[in-house]
Amino acid sequence: MRKILLQRLLQAVLMAWSVGTLTFIITRSLPGDMAYKIAAGRYGDDAVSTSAANAVAEELGLHRSAFEQYVSWMTDLASLELGNSLVTGAPIVVELQNQLSYTLVLAGLAILVSALIAFPLGIYSGIRCARKSENTPKSRASLFDKTALVFSTFVRSQPVFCLGLILIFIFALELNWLPVAGSSGFVYTILPVMTLGLSLAAISNRVIRNSTVNAVQSGYFHFAKIKGLSALEAFRCHALPNVVIPALAFMGIQLIGLIEGVIMIESLFAWPGIGHGLSHAVFARDITMLQGTALLMGTLFVLVNTLVDLSQYALDPRVRENLGHSQ
Amino acid sequence: MSQYIAIEHLSIYAQDTIIVEDLSLNLEQGETLTILGETGAGKSLLAQAIMGDLPSALKVTGNVLVNGVDMLRANRRECEQLWGRDIVMLPQEPWHSLSPMMKIRQQVAEVFRFTLGNGAREAQKSAKTQLDNLALKDDSDKVPSQLSGGMAQRVAFACASATNAPLFLADEPTKGLDPGRKHHIIEQLKQKANDGTLLTITHDVSVAEALGGKCMVLKNGKLVETGDTRKILSSPSSNYTKALIASAPQHWTATTKKTHRFAPLVSVNDLTIVRGNHTLFTGLSFSLGEGEIVGLCGDSGSGKTSLGDALLGLLPYQGNIAFHTLLHRYQTLKLYQDPPSSFADHTTLKSLIDDVIKLHNVSKKRADLLSAQLGLNQQLFERSASEVSGGELQRIALLRALLLRPKLLIADEPTSRLDPITSKAITHLLVDQCREENCTVLFISHDRTQLEKVCDRVIDLQSLTTSKAVI
Amino acid sequence: MKTFALPVEKVIGFSLLMLLLLLALGEPVLLGTNGNQQNLKQVLEAPSAQHWLGTDQFGRDMLARISEGLRISLSLAALCVLSSSIIGMLTGVIAAWCRGWVDTTLNFIANTILALPGLVLILLFAALVPGSFIMLYLAISLVLAVEYFRLVRAITLPVVTGPALENSALMGFPKRYLFSKHIWPAIRLDVLSLAAFGASSSIIAMASVGFVYVGLKPPSPELGLMIVELFPYYHEAPWLLAQPIFTLFVLVLGFHLLSAKSDKTPRLNKFIFDSSSRLSKSNALERKL
Repeated sequence: MRKILLQRLLQAVLMAWSVGTLTFIITRSLPGDMAYKIAAGRYGDDAVSTSAANAVAEELGLHRSAFEQYVSWMTDLASLELGNSLVTGAPIVVELQNQLSYTLVLAGLAILVSALIAFPLGIYSGIRCARKSENTPKSRASLFDKTALVFSTFVRSQPVFCLGLILIFIFALELNWLPVAGSSGFVYTILPVMTLGLSLAAISNRVIRNSTVNAVQSGYFHFAKIKGLSALEAFRCHALPNVVIPALAFMGIQLIGLIEGVIMIESLFAWPGIGHGLSHAVFARDITMLQGTALLMGTLFVLVNTLVDLSQYALDPRVRENLGHSQ
Repeated sequence: MSQYIAIEHLSIYAQDTIIVEDLSLNLEQGETLTILGETGAGKSLLAQAIMGDLPSALKVTGNVLVNGVDMLRANRRECEQLWGRDIVMLPQEPWHSLSPMMKIRQQVAEVFRFTLGNGAREAQKSAKTQLDNLALKDDSDKVPSQLSGGMAQRVAFACASATNAPLFLADEPTKGLDPGRKHHIIEQLKQKANDGTLLTITHDVSVAEALGGKCMVLKNGKLVETGDTRKILSSPSSNYTKALIASAPQHWTATTKKTHRFAPLVSVNDLTIVRGNHTLFTGLSFSLGEGEIVGLCGDSGSGKTSLGDALLGLLPYQGNIAFHTLLHRYQTLKLYQDPPSSFADHTTLKSLIDDVIKLHNVSKKRADLLSAQLGLNQQLFERSASEVSGGELQRIALLRALLLRPKLLIADEPTSRLDPITSKAITHLLVDQCREENCTVLFISHDRTQLEKVCDRVIDLQSLTTSKAVI
Repeated sequence: MKTFALPVEKVIGFSLLMLLLLLALGEPVLLGTNGNQQNLKQVLEAPSAQHWLGTDQFGRDMLARISEGLRISLSLAALCVLSSSIIGMLTGVIAAWCRGWVDTTLNFIANTILALPGLVLILLFAALVPGSFIMLYLAISLVLAVEYFRLVRAITLPVVTGPALENSALMGFPKRYLFSKHIWPAIRLDVLSLAAFGASSSIIAMASVGFVYVGLKPPSPELGLMIVELFPYYHEAPWLLAQPIFTLFVLVLGFHLLSAKSDKTPRLNKFIFDSSSRLSKSNALERKL
């Protein structure tokens, strides 16, 4: 177990280094008048002057030598001195805290929705498929199973923001049931959560379906019935654990894709979370904000990976055994 | 109903190929029946037919009545009701029959809990007792992946026998087991035979011998001979049965052993091999002579394969391995336990052999001569490794090795995955050909009898692990 | 030898892609309309004989723009897949074959790149030089190459430690033979599958980045960018917005179908277990008796 934590800690350090270095390079690559543009963005086009631009340049330390800047940049990073936003002037840490809560709500609900769709759909598809092909070597898919496959392929083959757009057309613009974008109430969460949840479920339900088919057609399920367990008992005790535990691991890995999807969805639905913050920071060349959001996303990424590893360790005895015997 | 199992003219077809042909048998309550025959779908399908568990894609004709119930015509639900209560089967592959994430005690306790309807705590206690009886006392909290093949077999046996079903079917219960384990399982089966009706399927004549009762010999799904086991084994009437009996190592005629002193080929001194955290053995010393056939036996896990690998330079070791003549890499070769995995897939055997011939400039005449001696016809080579049977593939592996005129051949359990008749043929082929080439063979096997019949001498690794013996 | 039954999905996927390719390459040859030419007298027109797919908010011919957008996406996909597959395969095979410190180093580099979520890395690179095709290509190829590396390594490891290759090595065959006879057949199919999947991933990545205005700059007719630009005109001219969405959808669907392994989700991409030990240990369940 310590091995897992150490590995992930190393990953966190590498991640922070990558983010810091990349944003530093971006800083250095700013053309001269970029400081001017940022000042203009902050104070307004009319109020800007050379001195204001110089102040921004000073803030970013664009006058010092490259190595000096890098060292001080990384030192700041290491001590979590994230500075202020170059656009709004507000402290990054405060902004991040605001954004994080929005993103966590979105992500949490999305995972829940995807689990609620994927598990019943996947397990039912799997059972229908396996039952239809009782004891034959090839699985012949039932109608339900085939429909689920078509749905999954359709949803999976689109960039997540396309799916969002389609849902907006149907529910917000045509049917007028839901608002298009914004964040001032629960009803605003529905479309973004549904979009993310559906896109995750499209993949995970097939994984669950395949696990179910494998479990039901497996030797151990069969032997359980031979031992005298009823089909239901055998399913509950033997098939289900062998489906749910790997599925949870898979969904944990999906959380990683979720982090990326959040960027797109928050931008589309103007949901003020970290993803939204990141994409706007890139657009506006708000370097400090860019660093802050990228860092936060990276940290979430490492955390999620760690949680997945730990939960697999706790739930799957095979993983425990593999890690116990070194090499 | 005194006839517990009554089968009449059972035939099973897969599309147009007939797998089981016109089989009839009668088994009374309390009797013991052993079905003898080589590996082929016929025997297992027969067991499945009795269970009412045949794949629906197969066409079946005839009658199978178990305790009065028509197993072929009854619907699946009805058949499944009988499982665990009236009939139970010990399946062929124990590992695949155990749930990978469940502790083995739980898997046995389920039987008490669900099949026999005991309370949860009582079920756990009974499970523990059951496992204790099979020498699995300290392992009850383990998961299948932590078990060896023999242990998994015992767990499956524990589950099956816990049901106390009056009819017990055992499908190849001793396949791939060490002699020690084999003996243990046979004892357990004998117990089952006393308690109820036992039907065993096996290709191992010694198992049939030990169990007694009645016996049926099947070849390619057809009944060859039937009757009292002792009578059939002592005076078989069909040629096939004779061949089957003759294929058991204890019935082989011993080959003439070379007793002269062999010029030493390789000397091993004070050898220690460590795999992972586990020391396999220490302080081993022995030597192999030129052209000598040496057997190496020991239980699984004792390090036989590792010793062979160390001799070939495939594994790190501590100690000294000295070759007395300078040998090229390609003059020390290996024969593998699982023939298909030692050949590249997706390509014809012909091209693989041609590659060897081209690489070392082997003469075509020699290749053809060897093929003929090994009984290989040219058509076989047009196929790929996965389309050829295990026995034929092992012969081709032997051909491949002999083409290079090796001086040392490590045969790592080359026949343990093969049927007994094929196994006997391959063993003799191997030994004869290598004697002709004056090639040293280290024949690794867990069957000591087999080794004693064909080898010049036998090294027992087990008895050497504690003592620093020099042979 | 076994005959290959062409699975339906792959045929459909391939045909879809061929159609799109035809559109991408055929349009400039056969029609040659200038997609950048603005004509403010003919804005937001419905499809007509003159403009088969209508015109956008600046009067530009949609057919030409879609076709150019396709060319951009397809060329990016091709470049990314080509470079990432070559690099990924080479490093994967080398890591699995040499093991030891070579393996450890390559793994370390891979883990460094993977320390960040892919899209975040791509956005950071895009921020470096905004509007640059090269930057996008570099970033996407990097992320894809690591996936190739992990996949190829995971497949090659058991082959390199398995009996077939060991035997050929004992018999004296050179490394070249060991690769072509043992390793390549094992990775060939998965590499092709991953290529199709990688193509769709790179197209999605570029569109996503374009959607948040950080990719290629206007007036470039990149599909993601087109979507976000046409979105305000949804009500007046819905057929316009539908076009890039539909094109993107068919493009990605085609590649997905091509990469799909009949009824199973592709066991590639990021969903491969982290430590190599886990994947090779799953074969440890088949223990020697």
